[in-house]
Amino acid sequence: MAESIEFTTLGSWQADSVTVGQVEAALSDLRRHEERAAVRTSVLTLVVVAKDPGEADETLGVVRHLGARHPSRTLVLVPDEDDGEGSRLDASAAVRLLERDGRAVCVEEVILEVRGRARHHLDSLVEPFALPDLPVAVSLPSRLPSPGDPLLASADRVIVDTRVVGSQADALSRLASLSKRCAVTDLSWSRLKPWRQLLASLFEGRVYRPFLDGVQSVEVQGRPGPRHLLAGWLMSRLGLPRAKVHLADDEHASIKLACSHEGRAGHFQVERKGDERVIDASVRIEGGPSYEQKVQFGEAWPSRSLADSLTRMGHDEVYEGALQAAVGLLR
Amino acid sequence: MPAEPTANPLADTDSERPAPPAVFVIFGASGDLTSRKLMPAIENLALRRLLPAGFSVVGVARTEMSDDDFRERMRELVEKGGGGGPEAKHVWESFTGGFRYVAGEYGHPDTFNQLKDVLAELDRERGTAENRLYYLATPPSTFPTIVQALGEHGLNKPTSDDAFVRIVIEKPYGHDAASAADLDSTVHGAFDESQVYRIDHYLGKETVQNVLALRFANAIFEPVWNRRYVDHVQITVAESLGVEHRGSFYEQAGALRDIVQNHVMQVLAMTLMEPPATFDATGIRDEKVKALRAVEVLTPEKVNDQVVRGQYQRGWVGGEEVPGYREEDGVDPHSTTETYVAMKLRVDNWRWAGVPVYVRTGKRLPKRVTEVAMQFHSVPHLPFAASQAKGLEPDALVLRIQPDEGITLRFGAKVPGQAFRVRSVSMDFFYGAAFLEETPEAYERLLLDALVGDATLFIRTDEVEQAWRIVDPILQAWSDGDAPLAKYESGTWGPSEADQLLEADGRRWRNP
Repeated sequence: MAESIEFTTLGSWQADSVTVGQVEAALSDLRRHEERAAVRTSVLTLVVVAKDPGEADETLGVVRHLGARHPSRTLVLVPDEDDGEGSRLDASAAVRLLERDGRAVCVEEVILEVRGRARHHLDSLVEPFALPDLPVAVSLPSRLPSPGDPLLASADRVIVDTRVVGSQADALSRLASLSKRCAVTDLSWSRLKPWRQLLASLFEGRVYRPFLDGVQSVEVQGRPGPRHLLAGWLMSRLGLPRAKVHLADDEHASIKLACSHEGRAGHFQVERKGDERVIDASVRIEGGPSYEQKVQFGEAWPSRSLADSLTRMGHDEVYEGALQAAVGLLR
Repeated sequence: MPAEPTANPLADTDSERPAPPAVFVIFGASGDLTSRKLMPAIENLALRRLLPAGFSVVGVARTEMSDDDFRERMRELVEKGGGGGPEAKHVWESFTGGFRYVAGEYGHPDTFNQLKDVLAELDRERGTAENRLYYLATPPSTFPTIVQALGEHGLNKPTSDDAFVRIVIEKPYGHDAASAADLDSTVHGAFDESQVYRIDHYLGKETVQNVLALRFANAIFEPVWNRRYVDHVQITVAESLGVEHRGSFYEQAGALRDIVQNHVMQVLAMTLMEPPATFDATGIRDEKVKALRAVEVLTPEKVNDQVVRGQYQRGWVGGEEVPGYREEDGVDPHSTTETYVAMKLRVDNWRWAGVPVYVRTGKRLPKRVTEVAMQFHSVPHLPFAASQAKGLEPDALVLRIQPDEGITLRFGAKVPGQAFRVRSVSMDFFYGAAFLEETPEAYERLLLDALVGDATLFIRTDEVEQAWRIVDPILQAWSDGDAPLAKYESGTWGPSEADQLLEADGRRWRNP
């Protein structure tokens, strides 16, 4: 699946010390003077809260690709640490055309550097830019929101990444309580989808399915956060006790299930061995079928996992179940 | 229906359901359809992780080949087709471990005995659990032979309740009503209707399915989808190509059999059907059959009045001079085969009574386009002077199926300025501009559906029967009588007789 998306910047604008009204006027001006931007098809407003301009750039690089599947308006907020008395907004805006296979969509980007007291009231900047009647997704690339964060009130969905925050002591339990308040998209969970899909596919069909009822032990390797999510997923879906689950630290994720059915042992394994983007899946059944399969997960671009997550609206109950069980693992 | 095994608790219910471990048996594995459509579809399904590890493929054909030759040949095909590449290499290598090949004549018992052995071996080694999907990618003349042999060798029924055996049959499904009925009785001699998946790749197209989404996921269109608001319907399936290298095939088929009997009837049924109670194979297909059943059968006199058949002559398409049909390879220089059909159909039901449906399809028309246009009534009273409303056409809603899939709404708007003048404007929605996402190829979608047992987008026996009920009298009238064959220049929208068909009703064809 080749992903070749080209960007054309149709127009851009930049100014310091501006009002929200001026930014809005500039944005509609950019569209008015460009015929190709006249028709805008959008499905959501994406708000990114970046810790510094570097993170803002990095995140924009990812979300720009997102337009291919979820044409959106992106608002990047960069709160400045300098906590002065007055408030000040420095803004830039751009309208870009994304093209693939001769088809094009138009997306808008607004970056606001927020100084002074306004940085404690980011929600007041989201409302004016949110597209009417469309969901607002708030992305926090490197942290979890505090429970009282006013931004949560305007968010229909919060995007986080367990792989980034997973090593923090209470990250999973904070995520679990966040997921009770609003729908959560966890990029790490989406990134683990190939492992989950492959493992599930090993149990399709009547020859293999019964082995899931006789799981003896589960071994999950990976980084803190992702490995807990995978183990939590298996515990919640299969009703496994804590004692059958073993975790180990590793750069790459892998899952091994030892099962038995009618006196026969079955080993099911999904493993990424090295840095190559290949997952090995294998099945060994005592006195029965055994085979190996290699699967490439070639969709390397990071926005792929974000795009995948955003196709789902509302709460992801399987993820939330996995998260709850993962919290239990840490107790 | 065989009992479903207990659901897999690890399966992601929000994503597409992956295929169960099964053997996909292709008859005609060395043919064109296998290389152009089936293998690329299989490869993409594998890349999208929708085929389980035990999934296996058995090719059956007359050409002598070893298993390794077959694997190698399939790999070359996939690479030639633009697939392959470093990304697909690993998948393909591990995947083709489950590829086998059986060489033999379709009429010879050895072929099927050998197939039986290979299937049993795959069940043992790869856990395919007696699940089979047969695909007839062979010329239609071989269908009865293969179907009967599968029955005679006991390969037609699963031996346990939780296994499945299904058969996919390509069009053409018969060449008239009688031959379709014959084929059906042969097929039903070995397979139950629930095992039979008749494929029309048009139904696998995302945009054909979008007709259903537009109609049944929105509250604003359905209220106007009837005789009160709709003046008439136009269905256009236009191709800019000629018969290419299919001359001798086309001589036997013609536009009525090749396009109208299947694609047009399917699009017509989806456009005119009542809302289904459920969005599943039975719900959708019951309503499609009801819609088709309401289409009037034309008497020989009406065929003369309401059906135009045409044949393309030399002309220019897209800046290129092209030969006439009778000059094409494999075509009789005196051929009377139609390459164009236009017709007016009546739909006798509560919703559509009095709303004519005009259908046209042809080769060597100015461009390739498939669309359905719902043409609405004019306003009952125009409160403007006629001079103020020049250029105002009745409203129309156009569902474009290919290319540039989307929806166009034509409505009246005021022309800016001091004077009050109104004219028609078009509001376009491009499906591709709202979602750049790659949509799966029709075959990919349909193969997966057949593997998971969803027959919604396949054609049921009564649909085939109804489509032939409409088309057969026209073929009959043509062969009995001396219906004129209208000529049209390549690169035009068809013969003038087709224009007269609408002009007689005070209407005209849209320019797609």
